[in-house]
Amino acid sequence: MAHVVKHITAVPSYKDFVDIVLSRTQRKTPTVIHKHYKISRIREFYMRKVKFTQQTFHDKLSLIISEFPLISNLHPFYATLMNVLYNTDHYKLALGGINKARQLIDDCAKDHVKLLKYGDSLYRCKCLKRAALGRMVTIMKGQSKNLQYLEEIRQHINRLPTIDPNTRTLLITGFPNVGKSSFINKISRADVEVQPYAFTTKSLYVGHTDYKYLRWQVLDTPGILDHPIEERNAIEMQAVAALIHIRAVVLYIADVSEQCGHSLEEQLALYKNIKPSFSNRPIVIVLNKIDVVRPDELSEEKKKILDEFRAEGEPVLEMSTMTEEGVMDVKTTACEKLLAFRVEQKMKSNKIGSITNRLHVAVPKKRDDKERPVCIPEAVLKKKKAMDVDGANRKLERDIEMEMGDDYTLDLRKTWLLQNEDEKYDVIPEIWQGRNVADFIDPDIMKKLEELEKEEEAREEAHYYSESESDEDEEMKEIRKTAKKIREKRTIITIESGEKRRVEKSRMPRSKKRTRSVAQLENELEELGVEIPRNSESHYGRAKSKSRSASRPPLKKKRDESVGSVTRSKSRTPRDKSGLRDNTMIRKVKKIAKKAQKPFNHQAKKGEGDRVILNMKPKHLFSGKRKAGKTDRR
Amino acid sequence: MAIRAQFEGNNEIGVFAKLTNSYCLVAIGGSENFYSVFEGEIGDTIPVVHASIAGCRVIGRMCVGNRHGLLVPNTTTDQELQHIRNALPDTVKIYRAEEKLSALGNVIACNDYVALVHPDLDRETEDLLVDTLNVEVFRHTVANNVLVGSYTVFSNQGGMVSPKTSVEDLDELSSLLQVPLVAGTVNRGSDVLAAGLVVNDWMAVCGHDTTSTEVSVLESVFKLSDHEPSQIQTQMRDSLVDTLS
Repeated sequence: MAHVVKHITAVPSYKDFVDIVLSRTQRKTPTVIHKHYKISRIREFYMRKVKFTQQTFHDKLSLIISEFPLISNLHPFYATLMNVLYNTDHYKLALGGINKARQLIDDCAKDHVKLLKYGDSLYRCKCLKRAALGRMVTIMKGQSKNLQYLEEIRQHINRLPTIDPNTRTLLITGFPNVGKSSFINKISRADVEVQPYAFTTKSLYVGHTDYKYLRWQVLDTPGILDHPIEERNAIEMQAVAALIHIRAVVLYIADVSEQCGHSLEEQLALYKNIKPSFSNRPIVIVLNKIDVVRPDELSEEKKKILDEFRAEGEPVLEMSTMTEEGVMDVKTTACEKLLAFRVEQKMKSNKIGSITNRLHVAVPKKRDDKERPVCIPEAVLKKKKAMDVDGANRKLERDIEMEMGDDYTLDLRKTWLLQNEDEKYDVIPEIWQGRNVADFIDPDIMKKLEELEKEEEAREEAHYYSESESDEDEEMKEIRKTAKKIREKRTIITIESGEKRRVEKSRMPRSKKRTRSVAQLENELEELGVEIPRNSESHYGRAKSKSRSASRPPLKKKRDESVGSVTRSKSRTPRDKSGLRDNTMIRKVKKIAKKAQKPFNHQAKKGEGDRVILNMKPKHLFSGKRKAGKTDRR
Repeated sequence: MAIRAQFEGNNEIGVFAKLTNSYCLVAIGGSENFYSVFEGEIGDTIPVVHASIAGCRVIGRMCVGNRHGLLVPNTTTDQELQHIRNALPDTVKIYRAEEKLSALGNVIACNDYVALVHPDLDRETEDLLVDTLNVEVFRHTVANNVLVGSYTVFSNQGGMVSPKTSVEDLDELSSLLQVPLVAGTVNRGSDVLAAGLVVNDWMAVCGHDTTSTEVSVLESVFKLSDHEPSQIQTQMRDSLVDTLS
């Protein structure tokens, strides 16, 4: 059943239920309210409580309703089983009660929320809330019996075996105490209690067995007695439900020894009685307990009854679950019968068309004469012949891993197949002299190297190297000389061009040649007939004359542009122009500098070194008591 | 014989292993359980090698190989290639294929004589296949699916293709590959056979979920036990009909 019905959450008892819901309300809604609060706030506070409680009840009840299976949606087998075990009417009533309670709680909450809208004080609102919660709890109290009943059913359902009503099933039936449970214990892994009294098995049991690569479900049912269906009790009815609704092969087990307390006649009568309920299903009749008495040792009357069994047209098999004689035979016959039955039914359905390709083995037609032999190593064939199943029991990596525990590291090189085993753990560089070693890996490298070495040897023997060297010597010298010259020339050219293209540095001032002098002037004027008094009064001679002032001569000699022919720079290039080639470059640089200054200008800074903070926030804004909203500057 | 295995709880073992008649590549996992399944079964006869391709564990889908050679995608690193070269016998030719469809295992299915390839595979790769693996190459689809490597598994003994393949396609493919073929599933109904199954001429390893019916089908079609493939039509027919429909 477990796979038909999903997991069902436990249903709490009425008391627990109410406790859960109320404490949840307490935890999940606000708890502090004062009477001086605005009335709308107070109303909202209590409305929220009522609504929350209602919602919690609603959710919990809905969960119960949705999780319990709906009888009408179940497989008929389960529906019947539910009816037998729990009485469908009672079950439906319980669920219906829960549903009704849910509805009542919803309505109750709705009413009280409406009333709360008119609450005019904290006290009134509180009273209304109390009333609402109280009513909800009372409603739940009415459901306490239902909750308890549902919890019992839930526990029972969880314990039911997982029976798949549609799969291949062997259904075992017969009088009580004929050996049904012993049989299921023999052919499957099930462990059903076997006792020498009737009705040891009180409910359905499931076991599984394998046959023909398939999994078979074996269903053990409680024994049934031969009386009308109205008189059957709940235990028998479970068996009947299975008999009617499960499409299985029915194994009717009869006790030849009559140790079960029912004579063969009775067993035949029961068989005839219940046969209609499993009509058109394969049936196998099994005579059990042949270890006690063999069928052919029976009296003539009994043999007649056995013949009647045989006359039913179903296979009659013999077995002893005690000595296991014939048990496997019974299983095989039953499985074969059911399989044939199921296959026949399936072949009739239209589904079979879709699986024809799965049943087809395509055998190749020869397309050429090429042989394509199978390749299986000798060792494997030998092993197969020797039926050596375990092999050499070699130590596996897994064993090593288990032994070493956390210290284990995978050794990839262990499996390497190298010519020289000792090279296995050699360190191989990935990169060697800036090149990827892998790019140069050549499987034939050793052969090639050997060839090269041989060639080298041959050359050496032929004095190839020594001769050619002396021959080349003079020629080479000549070439080297020329090359040196070329190299020198090239260096010179490089330097010269560098000079030409050098960045403009400050130039030396040109030494100016004086074109005019006093003597020249006098000569010219004299030629023109002008007399020039060559004395100290002549005004042009003043420069040379003594100064009238009594001040002392300057301590340092004044620098003159035209002092002698010695050239000195008049000044260094200004810093903003130094290192720049020409005016365009200077302009460009200025532009860049201006741009770089921009962000600083935005911050009203001179540059990155300018860290002056001009206006600190005054102290009174940082200290002392402040009220809300007064932290920023007024 | 066919055995069931799991790779770190995953049933798609064909993704993590490559089994051929002369070597077996196994992904490097967290523990050695999966590796030891192969090691214990065939470690004595052929090398079982830990390998990774392009740093991935999905080696079964990345490379393609048979007894004669191994083709790895060009994403394989030099170190990985060197490791594989060192670990495999010298008779196995190993090449890196410059192929756009780099999951070679998904686009190529082969045994020692025939290869079935994706219709869009490069011509150079096809030539490389012929040279390296010594196979005849056929461009074909399986059940209208171009990923022939994923939906087909075959050895020199027999083969299994996607369950959606029609009977006519089965016959045609079988004549092409020159091995008996059936349409089947592994891992409880999975149709990506190559993901759930690795096989060579004398053993098969399938996912842990594979049912006993599926195992018996593949044992008989790959001739791993004494069964013949024709048994599928005779003795196992009833079981198959009952499980499939």
